[in-house]
Amino acid sequence: MKPPILIIVTSTIVLGTMIVLFSSHWLMIWIGFEMNMLAIIPILMKKFNPRAMEASTKYFLTQATASMLLMLGIIINLLYSGHWTISMIPNPVASTVITIALAMKLGLSPFHFWVPEVTQGVSLSSGMILLTWQKIAPLSVLYQISPSINPNLLVTMAATSVLVGGWGGLNQTQLRKILAYSSIAHMGWMAAIMVYNPTLMILNLAIYIMMTLGTFMLFMYNLSTTTLSLSHTWNKSPLIASLILALMLSLGGLPPLSGFIPKWMIIQELTKNDMIVMPTFMAITALLNLYFYMRLMYATALTMFPSANNMKMKWQFESTKKMILLPPLIVASTMLLPLTPMLSIMD
Amino acid sequence: MAWVHRFLNGAYIFRHYPKPSASCPFLGTRFAYYCSSSLQKPEVAPGKTSCQRNSEGDLQGHHQKEVVLDITSPEEKPEVSFDKAIKDEIKDHFRRLKDDIVNHWIGPEGRPLHEVLLEQAKVVWQFRGKEDLDKWVVTSDKTIGGRSEVFLKMGKNNQSALLYGTLSSEAPKDGESGRSGYCAMISRIPRGPFERKRSYDWSQFNTLYLRVRGDGRPWMVNIRGDTDLIQRKNQMYSYFMFTRGGPYWQEVKIPFSKFFFSNQGRIRDAQYPLLLDKISSVGFTLADKVDGPFFLEIDFIGVFTDPAHTEEFAYENSPELNPRLFK
Repeated sequence: MKPPILIIVTSTIVLGTMIVLFSSHWLMIWIGFEMNMLAIIPILMKKFNPRAMEASTKYFLTQATASMLLMLGIIINLLYSGHWTISMIPNPVASTVITIALAMKLGLSPFHFWVPEVTQGVSLSSGMILLTWQKIAPLSVLYQISPSINPNLLVTMAATSVLVGGWGGLNQTQLRKILAYSSIAHMGWMAAIMVYNPTLMILNLAIYIMMTLGTFMLFMYNLSTTTLSLSHTWNKSPLIASLILALMLSLGGLPPLSGFIPKWMIIQELTKNDMIVMPTFMAITALLNLYFYMRLMYATALTMFPSANNMKMKWQFESTKKMILLPPLIVASTMLLPLTPMLSIMD
Repeated sequence: MAWVHRFLNGAYIFRHYPKPSASCPFLGTRFAYYCSSSLQKPEVAPGKTSCQRNSEGDLQGHHQKEVVLDITSPEEKPEVSFDKAIKDEIKDHFRRLKDDIVNHWIGPEGRPLHEVLLEQAKVVWQFRGKEDLDKWVVTSDKTIGGRSEVFLKMGKNNQSALLYGTLSSEAPKDGESGRSGYCAMISRIPRGPFERKRSYDWSQFNTLYLRVRGDGRPWMVNIRGDTDLIQRKNQMYSYFMFTRGGPYWQEVKIPFSKFFFSNQGRIRDAQYPLLLDKISSVGFTLADKVDGPFFLEIDFIGVFTDPAHTEEFAYENSPELNPRLFK
């Protein structure tokens, strides 16, 4: 893509998300979503092959349906409340329709079917934007309307998302699909806490974005899209293999890494609100996620899979890829747990 | 005991043999019959006997009429029960769902992950019995009104499959078609429980391996990806397979990087590499505009990793051919 076009498209994506974040008028929020969706289509089709076009088409159809449902919910809300301002939604039908629309945009179960297919069909950089930046706008709207959302609906979607994210990623060998199912599971965790403590949802989102960005950047550094290609990393760049180990453990939510913070906080908050079954179920299904992260880690860093050459270590050439953000992302994804007591300022 | 033997001798199945028509000398068919031991053999007159087949119950070596095994005799009326068929179908689907869930737990394709990752060669289709033929579909231009014919059957000793028939490039007289003349054999799309579409993941292999024996004709090997969208049904990746003819088996290795992209039967200027993570079906097409009989014997079709093959994609896109990509 030519640089001027890339700049225009990227700035439209950012502008669309900013409009959603800063608007209090429902129509402007809808316009922001539309701008965001239309601008990301060329990003998804960057590689211009039939699979990328199929993925873009699937993404467009799903997001357009979600936008249509969002507009329906907005109109119903306008009918009953008489105003366009984003605030408490008095009508339960409007609230449900808007929640379903935003769940479809996020990829929450049972509207998650597009996430692995679209993520698998696009390039690593496009997938990275899809699974990180594109979550910000819908979650910000959910944050604002969280007091009006039907808690049973959200908890059901959260439980099914966590289960689907764990079960679906179990026997995947394609890395992008693994990260897509990881995204579904993390969205489930965020949805579960949204009703009780939306601030924790923002914390979970921030840590999730840092971990996912770091993981994608490591895969882009290696140009790895399958587990097999990742398992040859020990031969090419052993440092990257050890970083993948750390990031996978963090994504799995193991202490003493940063990924443990949101899980700990969410389970604590849910138990404070007299919910025992839900956090237990979520903690158990998180083990499924941990299983496939550990399998990936095992293949990459803990064993030396046979590679095409017979050398123990390839010549270490200086890398030409500029990954400026990688070191701070790795640090942020792995070493933030000691800062947990500072979270009391969020109360 | 004698009554048992007499009963068993009486319970035999009649065979039928399609006699070749005088107007169409199926030379290839005759050669195919010579090559293979087909279950369909000429019906023997009552006075003549054949010592090639003996029934299981005939301990005395009593020669009988040769019969076709896939047609039941009039004495054995097949049980046709709609309810039973529906119940069997439902049970089969739920059994496949249970297998799917268990296999999902074990690993990719129902095997442990380390086994899948360390695998360097895999036989995807082989022809050892009639059930292997059910995974394939044969088609020809007869569907559009042409005159080509194609058949598929098991080869000699049930060790291969034989694709044979007659190619005719005579265009159908429908006022629309100007060209005709193709025969094809396409694998069925793998299905899971409740007929859900599945696909093959060959991303860790880089070469297609075929063990075939042909008649010197050039064939096209076609690979189709997953067909979720309607437009993708017309897209496929193809490459040529030149058969030598002769009695020796031929091992054809085609790297996946060599496959070129075509849409609606036309090779496109903008070429894309074949993505191997969602392969739907593989097919063989004969359309060399040479009328007459043909045959192709296939032992197995597999995939493997050739470590010496490092090419990623054999075709380049250039600004002259596809300016849209270089805007």
